[in-house]
Amino acid sequence: MPTIEVPKEKWNGKVREITLGATAAEGGTRAKTVTVGGETTLPFLHFEGEIPRPPAIAIEVQDRKPVDWSPVLLEAWGDVTEDVAAWTKAAAEAGADVILLKFSLHDELSPDYARQVLRHVLDATGLPLIVFGPGQADLDNDVLVAVAEEGKGENFVLGVCEDKNYRTIVAAALAHGHLVNARTAMDVNLAKQLNILISDMGLPLERIVMDPTTGALGYGMEYGYSVMERLRLAALQGDGMTQQPMLVTPGEEAWRAKEARAGEGVPQAWGDWAERAINWETLTASTLVESGADIVVLRHPESVKRVRGMIDVLMSKSGVTS
Amino acid sequence: MALPGNSTRRIIIAEHSVRFEPSGQTVQARTGALISEIARQVGLDLNMPCGGQGRCGRCAVIVQDGGAGIRRRSTLRLTSEDLVAGYALACQTVLEGDVVVTVPVQEKIERRLVTDKTATPIVLPFTYDPLQHQSVRLLPLTLDPPSMVDQTDDWSRLKRAMASAPSSSLGQWDSGNGTWMKQESAADDGTGVVDLMADLSTLRRVGTMLRQHNWAVNAVVEIDIWDRPDGPARLIDLLPPGRTEHLWGAAVDIGTTTVSLYLVDLLTGEVATKAAEYNGQIKRGEDVISRIIYASKNDGLGELQSLVVGTINELLERAARRAKISPSEIYKMVVAGNSTMIHLLLGLPPSSIRLEPFVTTINHPPPALASDLGINIFPQANVDCLPGVASYVGADISAGVIGSQMCDSSALTLFLDVGTNGEMVLGDCDWLISCACSAGPAFEGAGVRDGMRATVGAIEEVWINGETYEPTYRVISNPKLEAQGQPTPSRGICGSGLISLLSEMFITGVIDKAGNLNFDLGSSRIRRGEHGPEYVVAWADQTEQGHDIVITKVDIDNLIRAKGAIYAGFTVLAQSVGIDLSMVERVLIGGSFGQYINIEKAVQIGLLPDLPWEKFHFLGNTALQGALLALLNREYRQQIGEAAQGMTYLELSADNSFYEAFTSALFLPHTELAQFPSVAEVLADRDMQSVR
Amino acid sequence: MALSGLEIYKLLPGSSKNPEVKKHANCKECGFPTCLAFAMKLGQKQAVLAQCPYVEEESKAKLEASAAPPIRLITISANGRKLEVGNETVLFRHEKTFYHEPGLFVRVKDTQADAAEVAKAVGEYMVDYVGMNLTMNGVAVEAAGGDFAATVAAVKSACPLPLVLLVEDPAAAEAGLTAAQGTQSLLWAATPDNWEAMAKLAAQYKVPLAVRAAGGDLDALAALAEQVKGAGVEDIVLDPGVRDYDSSLAAFTQLRRLALKHNERNVGYPIIAFAGDDPVLAGQHIAKYAGFVVLDRFSSGTVYPLLVMRANIFTDPQKPIQVKPGIYEINNPKPGDPLMVTTNFSITYFSVANEIESSGIPGWLLVADAEGMSVLTAWAAGKFDAERIAKSVKTTGVAEKLSHQRIVIPGHVAVLMGELEEELPGWEINVGPREAVDLPNFLKMQWG
Repeated sequence: MPTIEVPKEKWNGKVREITLGATAAEGGTRAKTVTVGGETTLPFLHFEGEIPRPPAIAIEVQDRKPVDWSPVLLEAWGDVTEDVAAWTKAAAEAGADVILLKFSLHDELSPDYARQVLRHVLDATGLPLIVFGPGQADLDNDVLVAVAEEGKGENFVLGVCEDKNYRTIVAAALAHGHLVNARTAMDVNLAKQLNILISDMGLPLERIVMDPTTGALGYGMEYGYSVMERLRLAALQGDGMTQQPMLVTPGEEAWRAKEARAGEGVPQAWGDWAERAINWETLTASTLVESGADIVVLRHPESVKRVRGMIDVLMSKSGVTS
Repeated sequence: MALPGNSTRRIIIAEHSVRFEPSGQTVQARTGALISEIARQVGLDLNMPCGGQGRCGRCAVIVQDGGAGIRRRSTLRLTSEDLVAGYALACQTVLEGDVVVTVPVQEKIERRLVTDKTATPIVLPFTYDPLQHQSVRLLPLTLDPPSMVDQTDDWSRLKRAMASAPSSSLGQWDSGNGTWMKQESAADDGTGVVDLMADLSTLRRVGTMLRQHNWAVNAVVEIDIWDRPDGPARLIDLLPPGRTEHLWGAAVDIGTTTVSLYLVDLLTGEVATKAAEYNGQIKRGEDVISRIIYASKNDGLGELQSLVVGTINELLERAARRAKISPSEIYKMVVAGNSTMIHLLLGLPPSSIRLEPFVTTINHPPPALASDLGINIFPQANVDCLPGVASYVGADISAGVIGSQMCDSSALTLFLDVGTNGEMVLGDCDWLISCACSAGPAFEGAGVRDGMRATVGAIEEVWINGETYEPTYRVISNPKLEAQGQPTPSRGICGSGLISLLSEMFITGVIDKAGNLNFDLGSSRIRRGEHGPEYVVAWADQTEQGHDIVITKVDIDNLIRAKGAIYAGFTVLAQSVGIDLSMVERVLIGGSFGQYINIEKAVQIGLLPDLPWEKFHFLGNTALQGALLALLNREYRQQIGEAAQGMTYLELSADNSFYEAFTSALFLPHTELAQFPSVAEVLADRDMQSVR
Repeated sequence: MALSGLEIYKLLPGSSKNPEVKKHANCKECGFPTCLAFAMKLGQKQAVLAQCPYVEEESKAKLEASAAPPIRLITISANGRKLEVGNETVLFRHEKTFYHEPGLFVRVKDTQADAAEVAKAVGEYMVDYVGMNLTMNGVAVEAAGGDFAATVAAVKSACPLPLVLLVEDPAAAEAGLTAAQGTQSLLWAATPDNWEAMAKLAAQYKVPLAVRAAGGDLDALAALAEQVKGAGVEDIVLDPGVRDYDSSLAAFTQLRRLALKHNERNVGYPIIAFAGDDPVLAGQHIAKYAGFVVLDRFSSGTVYPLLVMRANIFTDPQKPIQVKPGIYEINNPKPGDPLMVTTNFSITYFSVANEIESSGIPGWLLVADAEGMSVLTAWAAGKFDAERIAKSVKTTGVAEKLSHQRIVIPGHVAVLMGELEEELPGWEINVGPREAVDLPNFLKMQWG
């Protein structure tokens, strides 16, 4: 009988290990830290390399009740969306490893306001934080510089850090002991370029999380999927500028899709709204987890449960047969 | 040197004597002092354009006894022979003993350059023999006058004079006495004129000319025209006897941005003068696509046709004036150019070039009469446009492949023609594959705020001091001013200057790897101008026009895009046939800027691959060189046709691998720094310098 | 192994050492301008060797050997509805593309009263996704102790799609195959215990046969495939007998690698995967190497996202990614807010949309159909001209949403201004910046 040799690839690269959050001993106030990265093979191929830890799940909370979220989402969270501290606690209970605090765009948003919100969130959870500005370069700079200073030493991930505003955010991360989330538009080269520019400013690569951006299922997901596969392959092949752990935001992307947002006036073939919407987020997230995501940011508690279930099995090493 | 008593920890720093030659100045200096500093103390002015960082290699001095008594911190710019000879970079060399230092004559920053006003000899790859190679001949003829006995018509008489004469009567150049000799004894070489044709306008002058010159004339005849090889010879003109010193031809390359011309003596094969000028069509669009679109509008085609003809005529005038002839004495013109340029010259609508599936009207157009095109050479002279390969790989490339002699060797060769369109050919004597990409006119100094052609007043090389961020630059000087000992004010920056400037800005950190200007450096030269961020290369008082010469962020982006397109073009070309760039044995570089650019800087910005320097060969304008070969030699003319036929064309728009390679190249030097080990070394060196 | 274009060229007349063959170099009789161009097309499988009349015998043998597909193409069909899987050539879609979408099947049991109803729903399901009609591929009928033949017959008459027969008892299998006659179904599964009888049936009824090993034993799987092939069955499908995320990922990845990179012919076949009731697991199977995916439950809200996902993953990555042409609202624009136009190349769209979005300025972004090209490329190729822009202004009805008639065109196509004024009478054409990054400033200056 012929014997088949298990086909293993030899990789000489390793994804950098990056820790989010800092405990009191480490200069912060977090009850726990979360480390991601360290893989020496493609996602979950335990038979040929190390997958030392599961990808982390972050849940997004916002400083005030979102005005543009799908009712399916708002219903799932209930009243907690009215209060960021309560929402943070609920998110932790729903199984988050990390809390992503996203500032929304409104007239009250100011550096002082951002500091206050941050305080509430820090008090409400012992989990590490990712903090995103509202997504407008000038405001992001103001908010993130204030937040970085207010949470000095907490080892947040500050975002979104893009090619046009990286200097300010990287400077804040350098000054106050944080990480940055380097986001580029679904392109391997752009991702590498931003990592290079940021590290040229003196921020160690151990403090850069890379966000290659994703599209939702049906809205360019495959593009982000392949970019992530390519980045991870490059990392394993030893390309030092692609060895950052990857963060993606499938929750935000999926819930922006009409399929997740709209319950009426849609084709009957789309099926049940909530079923479809949650599938939309879950499939976007699970596909990206399998292409190398180290941190996925989700919105719906049910999606968190399902993605967690998948990750648990994938980490069980039941596939190692030889 | 022993330290007295190790318990005291007292450090004594020794002093040494340094003598500078040829000035003979002697000075005492301490161990560890830099030669450059010692030189400055005694008032010796060493060139240090890079600011003493060991990058430019221009402060090299010779230390006697092969360099004993010194320690070199960096030998980056020195060869092993240099080291044996005692060369050291003053800014990178510290004193450790008594030395004698010879300071070479410092090069003046202004330097006279090869411009279109001075001719460098062109070397042909063959020994020119007009009888064997040339298709346009000058035939001295003596006819029997008509009489009542012989009432043969003038034309038949003329033909008879040619046909009855031995074929060698076509003449042979006697270099001994510099005349055309009739050699009765020469064997039949198969080029005998047996049949003759002429245009009506030529016929009209036959009778008068024969009689006026007493039945002794010189006929200008064209034989072996490629599109009818077995057809009759063509009488172009009749000249008075005695006008036999020269027979003129012109080789022209119509670039999208620059038109270049050689005026050539077809009797000797010598290039008498050269001339170059921006293509007059530029004002109707900077790139081929704009021109194609313009041509499709109301008489846009006619206008573009007359604009380029205007430029050619202006160049003809200029060249003819210098050779002290009239353009109408030119009897043959060969033209190279990309397919769009050839279409526009011939008045062929180019619109199909731009649209899928990208085809030309004709890749190999037949010769046209100069008068039909409006070109002011002899009206009945043929204008022969060389054949192209495809829509975006034109006659400039088929000519360039022959001009560069790339297919004469089995060595894997990459040929780059860097112009507004970057065209590249990869291959050897067995196969050739080509592609084209749009680089824009930046490397020709156009489309950049203070860009200009490489003529008088152009900044052609730049160094930036790594500490002060002050630039030093070299200007192509005006010989008259130079003769009077005056500097030439700068007018702008030419292509090689832009490459050099971009490289220096990058290496010194004036810009980051993405081309953003670094305002944290605190240099007054880095500022926000009317057109966004910019770097001042020359302050207004050093310029001819009295305003600052700057490079803007937009210019930088243009240059990065241009170099990125070229680099992406040849990487995709190599990928398409599964070849790694490191396998390339020769890189031949043609294009309007090809002669002048500095390989090192072109590699530093990621325009050229990081290969050993000896693999690069700059050939200048290879399209023009190819046109010259075709003008002079029928065999080369045929080879160009064969190259065009056999070359495989890769259409880059057919997939997105080009886009991928392009984004990767939109970084300095490239997203994959590992592909540029020599640049990585320079950057590491810089970072060490800044730490020190 | 596949040869590169240049390696193929070295075997063609253009590169021949034989002058009699070499004289046909670049003869163009194959329809391509040069031998090298033909070689590159051969390498990309866009041409066939028979197009060259002069290729030497020795070369021919080499070229044909290199062209054999590492994963066999398997076809099943019914009523003209065909499913082809296999023939894949890469592990990652970016390396080339994934060619054949895996079939999505819903399992019904012969003990299930509503089997025919479910089958009917599966057969009728159709959903539009960016102009494509996405459908399911068939029904998997399982012999679970009921009347297998009758259920197969009922399913077959209720649903026009191909079938998978999930049955291991040869007698029941034969009954099922008889009931399924007229279709080409997949028969599942041959095991070490029944393979001889199943192989005989597959050969007799000319259907593909799945071979099943236990618990991810690839040795056993390969051995079984070899045995079945020896018994005359060419069309084989693999079931390595794994059912969870982790072991499926490992086994399917190994099988794909063995076929593509290790030339292991005994596993050079498509894989059948069972996702149970878990859409996420089905998603993994779609992306990671299954040829057939069997779901236990049919529900629109689940199959719609899976069908979209399959369409996404099997999109050719070599083709530029396009966004849907149309009008995009950014930052909740009002009728007085600016209107900008760009092309439908996704990167172009994203860079423009992101700049506007992050500037906080509300605006209307008109995305014209430029066949997925960037602004300059599209303009160069005549896909983004005044006519097309005017057409998209008109067809999207954007004018009705606006209180003004001003449109900002990209700076790179400033030359279109005049023509656009003619095409859009009454409109004011503004030339915007060349680069998206300068848009926010431009909007602030021009629109206050």
